[in-house]
Amino acid sequence: MIKNYFKIAWRNLFRNKGFSLINIFGLTIGITSTILISLWVQDELNFDKDQKNYHNIYQVVANRNFNNQVFTDYNMAFPLAASLEEGYPEIKNAAVISGFGPSVLSFNNKKIKKNGLSVSNHFFDIFSFTFIRGNPQTAIRDEGSIVLTESGVKAFFGNEDPINKFIRIDNKRDVKVTAIIADLPINSSFSFEYLEPYTAEFIKSAMPEWQNSFSYVYVQTLPGADIKKIDKNINALIKKHVPGDNVSTYFSFPMSKWHLESDFKDGVNNGGMIDYVKLFAIIAIIILVIACINFMNLSTARSEKKAKEVGVRKTLGSNKKQLIFQFLSESLLITVLAFIISIAAVYLLLPSFNLLVNKRLSLPVYEPIFWIASILIILFTGFVSGSYPAIYLSSFNPVTVLKGTILAGKKALMPRRVLVTGQFIISILLISATIIVYQQIQYLKNKPKGYNSENLVFIPASPDFNKNYKIIKQELLKNGYADAVTRTSSPLTDITWNSPAPEWEGKSKNDEILVSLLTADVDFTKTIHLKILQGKEFSGMPSDSSAMILNKTAVKAMGLKNPIGMQMRYGKNSFTVIGVVDDMITESPYKAIKPLLIFYNDGSPDYITLRLSASLSISQALKSIEAVCSKYNPAYPFEYQFASEAYNNKFMAEELIGKLTNIFAGLAIFICCIGLAGLTAFTIEKRSKELGIRKVLGATLKNLVFLISNEFIKLVIIALTITIPLSWILMNKWLKNYEYRINISVWPFIIVGISILGLTLLIVLFNTLKTASKNPIKSLRTE
Amino acid sequence: MIELKNIYKWVNQEGSKIFLLKDLNLTINEGEFISIMGPSGSGKSTLLNVIGMLDGFDEGEYLFNGSVVSYLKEKEKTKLYKQHIGFVFQAYHLIDELNVYENIETPLLYQDYKSSERKALVSDMLDRFNIVGKKDLFPQQLSGGQQQLVGIARALITKPKIILADEPTGNLNSKQGEEIMQLFKKLNQEDGVTIVQVTHSEKNAEYGSRIINLLDGRIEK
Repeated sequence: MIKNYFKIAWRNLFRNKGFSLINIFGLTIGITSTILISLWVQDELNFDKDQKNYHNIYQVVANRNFNNQVFTDYNMAFPLAASLEEGYPEIKNAAVISGFGPSVLSFNNKKIKKNGLSVSNHFFDIFSFTFIRGNPQTAIRDEGSIVLTESGVKAFFGNEDPINKFIRIDNKRDVKVTAIIADLPINSSFSFEYLEPYTAEFIKSAMPEWQNSFSYVYVQTLPGADIKKIDKNINALIKKHVPGDNVSTYFSFPMSKWHLESDFKDGVNNGGMIDYVKLFAIIAIIILVIACINFMNLSTARSEKKAKEVGVRKTLGSNKKQLIFQFLSESLLITVLAFIISIAAVYLLLPSFNLLVNKRLSLPVYEPIFWIASILIILFTGFVSGSYPAIYLSSFNPVTVLKGTILAGKKALMPRRVLVTGQFIISILLISATIIVYQQIQYLKNKPKGYNSENLVFIPASPDFNKNYKIIKQELLKNGYADAVTRTSSPLTDITWNSPAPEWEGKSKNDEILVSLLTADVDFTKTIHLKILQGKEFSGMPSDSSAMILNKTAVKAMGLKNPIGMQMRYGKNSFTVIGVVDDMITESPYKAIKPLLIFYNDGSPDYITLRLSASLSISQALKSIEAVCSKYNPAYPFEYQFASEAYNNKFMAEELIGKLTNIFAGLAIFICCIGLAGLTAFTIEKRSKELGIRKVLGATLKNLVFLISNEFIKLVIIALTITIPLSWILMNKWLKNYEYRINISVWPFIIVGISILGLTLLIVLFNTLKTASKNPIKSLRTE
Repeated sequence: MIELKNIYKWVNQEGSKIFLLKDLNLTINEGEFISIMGPSGSGKSTLLNVIGMLDGFDEGEYLFNGSVVSYLKEKEKTKLYKQHIGFVFQAYHLIDELNVYENIETPLLYQDYKSSERKALVSDMLDRFNIVGKKDLFPQQLSGGQQQLVGIARALITKPKIILADEPTGNLNSKQGEEIMQLFKKLNQEDGVTIVQVTHSEKNAEYGSRIINLLDGRIEK
């Protein structure tokens, strides 16, 4: 019997080629999108899951409350880990990690800049990595060891055995390779290229430092440990060592949240990537359902054709259940075909999709989960798309059907209309969301940054660089390679050095303000084109070492009336305010600008900031600058970053989301369109007799196109009326996440409305023209 | 009123021509009631379609009120038959989605009548055919005879000079058929409407003032 079902289904597939093609095509797009999104979602959900102690690893994090502005800080005091490990039985291990910026590693003549971390003893007890050589117990036991990743080893040693060979770090110290670990998976919260133990000298100086926070601290608890109790202990422990700290509250942040729920708003864990993961999981299902709706609509639309078959089969003794199976086998067959094509499509698309989402996704064909998921997708799609038509078609009464008077009433059309309207609603929602996300990103990108990022370049400094800075600067300016040169403690786009505000006259006791700090050299505002609102900038005079520049927000936040000449005190050090500069975006473009204090530093800043000469081409200027830098800074490879590039990188997550919604909204509307085209074709086929009569009665082509499109335009307008307020509400909710946001204007909706109406008209027009221009007696003659 | 001269119409089948109409000559004067008879496949319906300008022909000349139809553009042709010709079909061809009133009204919509005029004209027609009480019913709710009555009312609504009826009683029983034929006769005699009907029935053919017998696409003399 089942064999017979599929035989009939197979024949039907070929008998109605147009119908089958539209369905297979639509379902293929739907299933392909669903598979791609599922792979992405699964990868996101699996972040760090390869860690053996996944469920028992926590990072110690602090909420620091300044004047009711809470900021969540991952930087901890260095001795915290050791104290936690010692005194609390429910903490099995604790580790401290510090990243001191990238260093240059050299072996023989190879010099490569690598990102490394310094880690404490129990790092490998807490975190699991795949060791290719060496072992976790001894790898970082001794000072002067280094653990490299596989690709790092390749870069330095090729196929040589690296174990026990020496590598030079920053042209200063030699370290011995003790172990090799496999490259980290992309979905790991860590991203280092080498690890080394802290030096004894460093530990000695850092151990008493309970105030200064610059390290990350991780703990591994015993399974089932009471986290609330641990948090209480941590707070008590720190209070003991830093009694004066009234702003910080500490808590343990579980590894499962590091990637997916990393957002904090006012100290409260506030989602993060997980929101997008959920959103895309929903979109995946929606796209699949849209494709299923196509199948339902087209199947019921051609019920006229099927009705006779149903009637005959029923008179021949088939019961309703058997008919339902018959029709379900047809939808399952089509789904299986679509699925096979989808797998091929996913294989072809994965490389470009990986590029887009910056991942290394692949189809896990060797894992049973893949086959289970595949079967689930096929069954879901087959049953969702096949069930309604099967029940609808099998319910026909054989007597009326065979007489030829099948119900053509409005009742039969209703479900189909609801489904089409539903499709339109989803598509319009996705498209208007895409437009609004795009507008928001553009708005943030184009927001005045406060400085001019055009041709502005950051170059990381080095000891040699700082020693020769004066000559380098002179040479760059003299030869016209750069228009202006200055130095700063961090790149302008990434000022993350935070501190409580200094003391000043008139500061009230509970005025706890959090400020950002930056050091700058002479020509700072001149180089970055920052506006000086009051006073002046650093000029290199000896008095500059006790001078300070504030930004506009700092003046406002501290409530200063005449800032110039005021004294700002940090402990014993006092600084005179010599200038006030305009605000600039130095951290997140999404958040409010923080008060910024700028100190003078002409000794050893970390970054050279220069503006390329406008009279040279960019490549010429960079080449010339590289030559000068290598001359005076031979130990380091020449590196640079454009300010505009660094700024745009801040939008990566949003742009990715924007791109993804763009693609999938496009696909959703495309599936809707082919469904609509199929539906119009069937409507017209069904109404060809009516169209013929109307033509004989004198209807023009225009009349007929209007008649048919009328039916669909009404649905589009209903969908628009429902969707516009809905997407307005939803998008406003999304925009609330941003400190700076656009007001949703009517334009996105007008654009979406007009384009959807236009698209519908076009599809209907295209389909109607063919039939309407046919000789009417052809359709009437068949009676 | 209508003059067909040496009309040929053929289709090509496997390289050879199959003639549907062969050297056909026919003159129809205003006020005539013509019955076209002939066996199946003799070209009756084709002839009616040619007269109604729904179908073209391959050779010959067709004069409608003195103008040469073959020279007319599609639009002019449509205009001509919209104004002057009404069609009645064997299968009624009412629009299922429209009720009786709306079915009758449809041709007026395509000729830009004002809404008040349409109302008046349709009401008149409903009165005249005694179907006022059925104006809100849908075609499925009517008997065959009633449907054909609506079909004829619809054909007459634009006051055509000529009605072309393709086996108007073919789907009806004899009593219903007789009523329809009486109606045609009355229209012809009292209102002066020219009628051309295709029929199989000798009896119905007798209602006409002239009978034309077709065989293999030509008129039997």
